Amino acid sequence: MTFKIRAAKQEDCKEISRMIMELAVYEKMQDQVKISHKELERDGFCRNPCFECLVAEVSEEHKSLQGYTVVGYTLYFYTYSTWMGPSVFMEDLYVMPEYRGKGIGQGLMSKVAQVGKEKQCIRLQLSVLDWNTRSLDFYIKKGARDLTASEGWHSLRFDGEALDKLAAEAPKD
Amino acid sequence: MFKLRKAEPRDVPDILRLIKELAKYEEMEDRVLLTEKDLLDDGFGEHPFYQCILAEWQEEQSNEEPKVIGFAMYYFTYDPWTGKLLYLEDFFVVEEFRGKGIGSGILKLLSNLAMKTRCSSMHFIVAEDNRSSIEFYKRRGAEDLSKEEGWRLFGFDKDSILKMAAPAAE
Repeated sequence: MTFKIRAAKQEDCKEISRMIMELAVYEKMQDQVKISHKELERDGFCRNPCFECLVAEVSEEHKSLQGYTVVGYTLYFYTYSTWMGPSVFMEDLYVMPEYRGKGIGQGLMSKVAQVGKEKQCIRLQLSVLDWNTRSLDFYIKKGARDLTASEGWHSLRFDGEALDKLAAEAPKD
Repeated sequence: MFKLRKAEPRDVPDILRLIKELAKYEEMEDRVLLTEKDLLDDGFGEHPFYQCILAEWQEEQSNEEPKVIGFAMYYFTYDPWTGKLLYLEDFFVVEEFRGKGIGSGILKLLSNLAMKTRCSSMHFIVAEDNRSSIEFYKRRGAEDLSKEEGWRLFGFDKDSILKMAAPAAE
């Protein structure tokens, strides 16, 4: 079964939104999904897009039981290391369960690495949940290092009330 | 007293100086490979990769030039579940100027900016042995996503990227 990897178009956002939810369900965090395809269309296909996206597509004859031909995606953006310069952060990588084991995930990730290389990025980073051993093994086999384990980095977040409260105390201009 | 302002191209030498001081504090100073020219091209060129806020200090009633004694470097990222995010990459105040509300002032300015630009949250990473910084953030309501949700940060270096970027089967 062959597949094609291409840049996402605005019309793909409904499919991408579907798969974002499938990935959130896999990560047991589906109640944390607050945006729909509308925000993806607005934020990814404007003059200064907040992210870039690639999709994996199969032919009609290999479409899924529900009729989908877009069967995987990756969403990524550019970040900056004050030590080494531009980096690429792969935020999401997902392939529908029935299409795994065929090189699609690897293909998507390789394309992100290629895009990163073209933009002179020195690093590709991502986050993985500690119980997701299947994904951890996949990335480690391709050469990734666990920086939380080896260097002790922790991800922190301010949101909701904590962010509102902090903002309300900002010095006046 | 201190003042916060947006960094300009002329500030690049001070930005690099503070990046190196922060790296020294994190015991990783030999990892800073960026030059002033890199910072100028990457922050003030056609496609800026980062934004920067500086903290300046001037002694009251002094004719001396204000000194740059703190900075925060940030950019915008994306969470497919909640939308636009503000990502705080570096945040540092020179040791002798800590405890004067400068760090708090910078963090508050950034959260105000996050709200104005429709960001749903502000993210950053901290080394787990940096207890004083972790306490500083937790006191203000930050959640440790590595502890509470189990997220682990992974990285591929240049060699691994080159290997993966080699033509993939299509």
